[in-house]
Amino acid sequence: MATVIGGICTSHVPIIGVAYDNGKQADPAWQPLFDGYKPVAAWLAHHKPDALVFIYNDHCSAFFFDLYPTFALGLGETFRVADEGSGVRALPPIRGDLELQIHIAESLVNQEFDLTVFQDRPLDHGCASPLPLLWPHEPDWPGTLVPIAINVLQYPLPTARRCFRLGQALRRAIESYPRDLKIVVVGTGGLSHQVHGERTGFNNTEWDMEFLHLFEHDPEALTRLTHADFVRRGGAESVEQIMWLTMRGAMGGSVRKIHQNYYLATTTAMTVVLYEDSEYFANSPANTERPVRAG
Amino acid sequence: MNTNPQLQGIESIPGTYIFDLRASHKALRLNRFLWRLSFPIDRARFLANESEAMQAAELDKTEQQLIQARDWLGLVRYGASFFALEKLARVLTTSNLEMYAAMRSETFDQFLKTRRVPDAR
Repeated sequence: MATVIGGICTSHVPIIGVAYDNGKQADPAWQPLFDGYKPVAAWLAHHKPDALVFIYNDHCSAFFFDLYPTFALGLGETFRVADEGSGVRALPPIRGDLELQIHIAESLVNQEFDLTVFQDRPLDHGCASPLPLLWPHEPDWPGTLVPIAINVLQYPLPTARRCFRLGQALRRAIESYPRDLKIVVVGTGGLSHQVHGERTGFNNTEWDMEFLHLFEHDPEALTRLTHADFVRRGGAESVEQIMWLTMRGAMGGSVRKIHQNYYLATTTAMTVVLYEDSEYFANSPANTERPVRAG
Repeated sequence: MNTNPQLQGIESIPGTYIFDLRASHKALRLNRFLWRLSFPIDRARFLANESEAMQAAELDKTEQQLIQARDWLGLVRYGASFFALEKLARVLTTSNLEMYAAMRSETFDQFLKTRRVPDAR
């Protein structure tokens, strides 16, 4: 049986990818960001999940508004990384596990999440900006990806509650997969930011901290918020944090936060958080050995 | 006009333009044009002759003027999706931070002064 062993939430700001490609890991302006991912990368290297289910949004790289899906799952043995206008990044194609993707698609649809399935479409910075900070990629990625895209661009967006329930259904999908795979669910986006209109540059660290607290201890409270609530508190584009709720829904009732890094440099509160699945680590004492401890 | 209960009260948030189905429908041609700038062939065409490319895409006068003027805020108000606008910015080698400054009607330096770590770019 496949198991959710943990969850990661991470920003997916495109400039993270640019800074990574330009080798800014030791640049004083960027080091606090890159260092913040190291414990997460070490945890992944230690626990070696077979696959990451990546909850992200497409930024008009795979889809355009002539047909923009609410929920879409990527099917394929490889996905190319999108050229978003600055050229092709020096990353190997992202690998996929076809049978796992098919099982998750079938299970979600049978649980009445009637998602779209896409093939032969690139993955953009929604996946590719944080991925190299989590997993090494030379000579190749150590595992596969199940990309699940959520519409956070064109209203009406799915509600926060719907995204949370998608995560709960995703957990059931994973747990009904017959092969013994270790899975980590990654929710991307946020935290506070706004990148359009005169309100561009808006941030709200106080709300970000409250969000992180509720996310860990009372995610249901966040599912009661409207999109307007997210826009008002965290800036227009922070509404994408509803994608974090999908990851949280997939984590079961209680989680254990073992690492968090919050870095607000220019316009987006760039954040990465690592959670262990309480059920998995409670049932397997041998699993509790970990490279990092809560700080 | 807003008829979506999830967006109730959105009008009271200043400087924010929700990209909903009304905006998407109104600005479909404009957004398609911007989006296609992520394809090398359309990028080359735009760089070779901007107005010809816009005419071929049947953009109306207002849309063409907004692009010619690099009026980022005007484009957003008109109905451009920020994520389609980013494709135009890449072709023009305009950074996102420069777009942000323009949307706030600030110079780039003024905008950077409002940021915690202006060197993170």
